[in-house]
Amino acid sequence: MSRTSNRADGDIVQDFLSVADLLEEPQLAQLYAYLAREREATVQDVMDDLELAQGTAYSYVNRLVDAGVVDVTDDEQPRRYAAREIDLTVTTAAGDREYTITPALIDAVGRRETDADIDTYIGRHGVAGLATALTYAVARERGEVTHRLMADDLDISPLAAEMILQALRPVVYEHYDIEAAGASLEELDIDDDVSADDA
Amino acid sequence: MSRLHISDTGLFVAMGQPSNSRYQAVRRFARRNDITFVLPARVYEELTVDDPDVEEVPVNAAIDEGWATVAAPLKFSEPIVSRVMDGIQRYIANADDRPADEVERADAALAALASQELSAGAATEVYIYTTDIAAGEGAETVLASEGYGDSVTFVNGFRFIEDLVAGDS
Repeated sequence: MSRTSNRADGDIVQDFLSVADLLEEPQLAQLYAYLAREREATVQDVMDDLELAQGTAYSYVNRLVDAGVVDVTDDEQPRRYAAREIDLTVTTAAGDREYTITPALIDAVGRRETDADIDTYIGRHGVAGLATALTYAVARERGEVTHRLMADDLDISPLAAEMILQALRPVVYEHYDIEAAGASLEELDIDDDVSADDA
Repeated sequence: MSRLHISDTGLFVAMGQPSNSRYQAVRRFARRNDITFVLPARVYEELTVDDPDVEEVPVNAAIDEGWATVAAPLKFSEPIVSRVMDGIQRYIANADDRPADEVERADAALAALASQELSAGAATEVYIYTTDIAAGEGAETVLASEGYGDSVTFVNGFRFIEDLVAGDS
C-alpha cells in the first residue's frame, strides 16, 4: 500500500472499515488494546498474556496486520508487532456532532471478553451505547457529571449507570490523565487499629 | 465528638459481593472502628432497585450484619437542609453547564443529611463516601459556605477501598 504525504481518500475509508471490524470483534479489540499497551510484543507474548492458542494468536495478529492497524516492527524471528495509533473522528453531515474513535473505546470493547458488566451493557445498548457510557465515565472522573445525571440522560436506572461507570473506570485511568480527588484512607483521621481486628 | 459516616451508592457497588475481598475489607474496617455507614433513603432505593440488567448489590447483607443502616427521611422544614440541597444542585449543574433543575435531588441528599446532623449537633464530624467526585466536592464546598468546612470530608470510595485492600494483604 503506497502512502503519499496527503493520505488518499481510500485510506481513510479503509481505516474506518478496519476500526469498525475491531469494534465488532471483541477478541480483535482486546488484542489491539494489548499491543497498544505493551508497545511491542511477539506472538508468543500474545499467547502467554492473553491465553490464546498458537493458531488463534497468529490468525488474530495477521488479521490486524492485514487491516492496517498493527505493524510488524522487526521482521527478524521472532517477529515483533506494534499497534498503529487510531484516532478517527466521525462527523455528521450537518457538522453539528462528531465523535472521535480512540484506543480507549477499542480497549473498552476488548474488555467485554473478561468483564461481565461491560458484556451485559454492550448486549443491551450496543457498542454505540458503550461509546456514550465511556464519554460519561471520563466526565465523571473529572468531576463534571454524576452517575445519576447519566441515568437521567440515558433513561437507565442509577444502579445500572453506576455499574458501567465502575467497569469503565480502569479504561479511563489507562488512557486519560485524571487527578486523584477526595481523601484517601490515611487522610481520614481515623485511628484505624488493625491489631484489634476481630475478623 | 461523634462522627457520621454517610455512604453513596457507588461505595456499595465497588465492594462487590460478600465473598469479595473488597467487601470483607470494608466490613473489617467498620467493625474494628465501630462504624455504621448511613445511607440516605434515596441511596438505599437506588441500591435495591429491581433491574434485570444488573447484579443485586448486597446492601441488605451489610444492614443485617449491623454495619450499615438507612437514614430517616430528611427534614426539609429545616432551612439549612433546603439551602444545602439547592446549593449542591447548583454546584453540580455548574460543573456540567446544565440548568440546576435538571440535577437529580438524590445527588444532594448526601450533603443535606450531613448538614441536618451537624446543625442539630448530632454529629461533629461527617465523612461522605462517594464515587461521584462532583457530589463529593460539591458537598465540601457547599457545607464550607455554611460554616462546616472543617467538619466535612469527602472520601473517594475507590481510593478508600483500594487502600483498605492493600493494607490487608
